[in-house]
Amino acid sequence: MGLYKRLTISQKQIVWAWGLLALPILFYVVVRFYPTANAIALSFQEWNLLGSRSWIGFENYTKLFSDPVFWKVFANTFIYLLLGTPTSLVVAFLIAYHLDKLRFMHGTIRALYFLPFMTTAVAMAWVWRWFYQPVPIGVFNNFLATLGIAQIPFLNSTTYALPSVLAPAIWAGLGFQVIIFMAGLRAIPQTYYEAARIDGITTWETLTEITLPLLKPTIVFLVVFSSIGFLRIFDQVFNMTTNDPGGPLNSTKPLVLMIYDTAFNSFDMGYAAAQTVVLFSVLLVVSLVQLRIMRDN
Amino acid sequence: MTTVVLKNLVKAYGNTQVLHGIDLEIKSGEFVVLVGPSGCGKSTTLRMIAGLEEVTSGEIQIGGNLVNDLEPKDRDIAMVFQNYAIYPHMTVRKNIGFGLRTSKLSKTERDQRIDEVAAILELTNLLERKPNQLSGGQRQRVAMGRAMVRNPSAFLFDEPLSNLDAQLRTQMRLEIKKLHQRVGNTIIFVTHDQVEAMTMADRIVIMKDGVIQQVGTPLEVFYQPANTFVARFIGAPSMNMLNGEVGGEDLQLDNGTRMSVPLNKLSKGQKITVGLRPDDLLVKENEGLFSGKVSLVEPLGSDTLAYVDVNGTEVIAKASGRFPPAIGDRVNLHSAAENIHLFDSNTGEAIQ
Repeated sequence: MGLYKRLTISQKQIVWAWGLLALPILFYVVVRFYPTANAIALSFQEWNLLGSRSWIGFENYTKLFSDPVFWKVFANTFIYLLLGTPTSLVVAFLIAYHLDKLRFMHGTIRALYFLPFMTTAVAMAWVWRWFYQPVPIGVFNNFLATLGIAQIPFLNSTTYALPSVLAPAIWAGLGFQVIIFMAGLRAIPQTYYEAARIDGITTWETLTEITLPLLKPTIVFLVVFSSIGFLRIFDQVFNMTTNDPGGPLNSTKPLVLMIYDTAFNSFDMGYAAAQTVVLFSVLLVVSLVQLRIMRDN
Repeated sequence: MTTVVLKNLVKAYGNTQVLHGIDLEIKSGEFVVLVGPSGCGKSTTLRMIAGLEEVTSGEIQIGGNLVNDLEPKDRDIAMVFQNYAIYPHMTVRKNIGFGLRTSKLSKTERDQRIDEVAAILELTNLLERKPNQLSGGQRQRVAMGRAMVRNPSAFLFDEPLSNLDAQLRTQMRLEIKKLHQRVGNTIIFVTHDQVEAMTMADRIVIMKDGVIQQVGTPLEVFYQPANTFVARFIGAPSMNMLNGEVGGEDLQLDNGTRMSVPLNKLSKGQKITVGLRPDDLLVKENEGLFSGKVSLVEPLGSDTLAYVDVNGTEVIAKASGRFPPAIGDRVNLHSAAENIHLFDSNTGEAIQ
């Protein structure tokens, strides 16, 4: 105690800070950094989960880059990203923008949008899967049938399967994005709009010149956040196409599902690790690029 | 140049009426200040003139035209907000020019207008900066610039100086007044600060609870307050108010003191409130309306404010700055007859 008493105030603060940080740092090293490093090492090895690990150099990577399934999956992952992020953001913004102006039943409607976000992805995927079934089970096809329009083989078509799987994923994240957008909109002082009204600025100009630029921090956050989400899409795909994970001819298969398959169906741990390293690099690059592009000048 | 006329203007939110029939005529080129405590309806009145709040009933005329149902942009007014409402993502030039977007001026004419306004407000060197690189006073000037650039027939100011520190506020007060003398547009200025109202206005409109209490020049509202509210609101420190009754030959105050004042126009037994400004109530050696015991002194340098206990009622009086009375001293308080204000205790109205 005598030693502690002799420290200056700032030294005491440092002692406390490191003391309190030690536990999370230890935890992170054990459950995050060590496995990450191990996975990177594993990607240069061959291992079937039971036997010993043997170094094989870049073999896993050469195998991966010459695997046509990998390129298909890689493309799928980016389609999820490029379709999912803009669609979900535009829809979420439109809802938030109009909901913000609505007073009647405001709370109820907001809760309705948020509900899917709180529901488990598995349950939701199964409900949507049921929606997509052919007549007489599926809601969508039943509706099309009453209009006299031809059936759409949503989950069984190489064209429609991916968007069909993406739709519930967008829907599930919508509530969260709407809430974040509304918080961003609320943070813009009302006088900005009043000043614009007095200056005779049109609604469209107010939106593009005032609202959107001022929402930029919110937009950057949501773009990065939802991009990571779509690049890591798994639950919806896995649960909506359980009998044939990855859809017809791998048409819905994302990278995470391929990793899962390689690791826990083929037990090729080294190969799976190489795929995770690729996914990690993609996530890192995409996030950094987005942050750089959208950073304030 | 534009007149602004309000006729029996009423504003209600649901069943709650907040403005109870405002009548006001503002002359062309006049600087009118709406002043009152918060919740008195001054900002609501201004926002109705701007077109940001709907009119429940009554009329607003700007330049002789009924504008009740016109959009703000069609009223030929400009407004400066308390938080300035300048856009953080635009440069000063863009902020000032923002209001010109809807005008039919060419690009060169626009730039010329912006440069002119920037020169008047001494913002020329700051035109390419963003608002977060400006001080409070500079932001305030940008907000004024944005209003001026459109050359509106009337300026509306909604407590524009409230976010500035005391020194800057005094300086901006002067600048706005100079600006008015220079451009001569009609200005309607809202504030809760009676000093701002007194120093800037051609005419002051004092409001309370959605009703106009008095309209007059700064000197009129100071020297001839219409009622006890105006008397206490204008002037600092507030006017001393002493309740009493008209006796046979003099006033008998409720605290037992007797005070001789001219009693013409007063009837015996009438309940009266006597108003005495601390500035007019002087600590004297011998003569005095009444006397009391000093309970507290506040030295201000040139003067000293003495808090004097007059038979249980505390009044504030002015004493010498150099030779202030000591706490516990018994002093005489005197006021010239013309500085004594009399109000009817029941109605609060001034007795002229």
